[in-house]
Amino acid sequence: MRAYIVSTIVGVFAVDENNRLLSSKAFPKEPREAAEKLKLSEIEMLDEERFVRDVLGKKGFREFIFGYRKAGVKHVEPNSPAEQFVKDNVRKLAVDAKIFSNPADLNQFLTKATIELAKVHIKKSIQRDSLVVQANGALEDLDKSINIYMERLREWYGLHFPEMDRAVSGHEKFATLVAKFGDRENVTDADVEGLKKNSMGADLEDEDIRMMQSFAGKILEMYKLREDMVSYVEGILKKVAPNLLDVAGVSLAMRMIAKSGGLARLSRMPSSTIQLIGAEKALFRFLKGKGRSPRHGIIFGHPLIQGARDEHRGKLARLVASKMSIAAKLDFYGKEYRGDKLKKELTEKAKTIVSSKA
Amino acid sequence: MNRIFDGVFVDRGDFFTRNMVPGRRVYGEDLARSQGIEYRRWDFTRSKPAAALKNGIRNFPLHEGMKILYLGVASGTTASHFSDIVGLEGMIYGVDISQRVLRQIIPIAEERGNIAPILGDTRKPEEYAGLILEKVDLVFEDVASDDQIPILIRNCDKFLRSGGFAMIAIKSQSIDVVKSPKEVYRECVGELEKNFEILEKVELDPHEKHHLMVVMRKK
Ligand SMILES: C[S@@+](CC[C@H](N)C(=O)[O-])C[C@H]1O[C@@H](n2cnc3c(N)ncnc32)[C@H](O)[C@@H]1O
Repeated sequence: MRAYIVSTIVGVFAVDENNRLLSSKAFPKEPREAAEKLKLSEIEMLDEERFVRDVLGKKGFREFIFGYRKAGVKHVEPNSPAEQFVKDNVRKLAVDAKIFSNPADLNQFLTKATIELAKVHIKKSIQRDSLVVQANGALEDLDKSINIYMERLREWYGLHFPEMDRAVSGHEKFATLVAKFGDRENVTDADVEGLKKNSMGADLEDEDIRMMQSFAGKILEMYKLREDMVSYVEGILKKVAPNLLDVAGVSLAMRMIAKSGGLARLSRMPSSTIQLIGAEKALFRFLKGKGRSPRHGIIFGHPLIQGARDEHRGKLARLVASKMSIAAKLDFYGKEYRGDKLKKELTEKAKTIVSSKA
Repeated sequence: MNRIFDGVFVDRGDFFTRNMVPGRRVYGEDLARSQGIEYRRWDFTRSKPAAALKNGIRNFPLHEGMKILYLGVASGTTASHFSDIVGLEGMIYGVDISQRVLRQIIPIAEERGNIAPILGDTRKPEEYAGLILEKVDLVFEDVASDDQIPILIRNCDKFLRSGGFAMIAIKSQSIDVVKSPKEVYRECVGELEKNFEILEKVELDPHEKHHLMVVMRKK
């Protein structure tokens, strides 16, 4: 005999294929606790669910169907008609099962519970991951500015020492050399040593060079600010998304949270969606009939995927996305830290993918 | 005070609902007394259903005990009057995406006991499905976005009982700024007709510029 076990804000209900109520177990009538339970039920087996299952087990039921995949669950059927029935009739079921004696009591309870939830959501959404979203925006702005300034510096300093532009491709190093040494005659660096003698650049006055040095110095300050900002975000992530941080690294975890619109959203996304975060533009183009269907978004910035060969990347992206999805859920629901374990699993599975023949 | 619809009263061109929490105002509205009962004036310059009443709407499907899903509930100006009408056995599930405005409805919900404020995106009904305990009798939408029609249709598919009602305030400027309001209304109503039986359309001008209220019923 089969039973569908469904959790709602008031408690757990079990029904059969014909939508007959088989058993139920109320949640504590403390609204915050009930709201927490309902959220938790998406990722782990609740005591109340176990209770209902055991009661039915004694009555001869053998197959228990849940709406979410979680430890201890064998049969999963999301959005089954039975689940739908329970969700559409919570009020009636709650009164039938005598969890609430009348609809007005249930209203009071529901109002309190949704208020609690809204408060928690509001708190979460403003205090914590919104900071990450903003910091990510600030970093993007900063990167754009740095690039603009660097182009200017390269062009400007190029009047004096054009050969250095190609010899030193790293922006930060370029700015450091200018700020530190100024006149090309003074520059001591293995990459440019040989180019100084026959430079085509013009000889400039001291004051010209000093201005460029001061400009380069400001750019270096921006690099420093960038660094500070990254470690600041890392600090927040350690508190609000430690699991995701371990699986994705600072930069990717931050961008995932920002692009998905926050940890709450991210935690509810299936991993197939996570894989496409940041590829929305390409996806829309594809849906309009232009271009190819994108296979991945910013997830490609993950070191495991970046370092891999083309033929493995698709599989790796799926793997990374699934681990991120688990990590984001753990983080959002404030569950225990398991990042080190997730990361280990990730690296090990990645190894088998990379060593397999495509 | 003359009753014109369930829970809605009129007095010298103004509309009123019975104040569920006597002595309290929600958005600075006037309070009035008649035969020992306190009423709150339903300001038709601040609330779209009141503007529709002012413009003579004939179908106003709100009743005591009703369960309502309110999309774009904001700070609760309109929802507070719905709350007066449906009473303690009714329920208003109020969804809004903005935590800034939803924060303001919390104290109102706390004292009324029949408004469930839900922070959520109405484009993603599955995200708040767990908090809506039943099929509702009415879906009311006032979200002012360019996809307000598909939002209504999806939410009604999921949460509205068959034979239930839907009301939407269409804001032509949100949907298309280039086309004339009439043109936008015609296109929107065309879409709605595929899913609902249209009962009435009322323009809300001049109280709400370029808005059309549509009342319909789920087939
Ligand atoms: C015109 S106001 C509503 C005013 C309110 N109906 C009243 O009369 O008191 C529109 C509301 O829709 C909300 N909104 C816009 N897009 C939304 C979405 N996708 N999901 C939920 N709410 C949304 C906005 O935050 C805003 O509060």
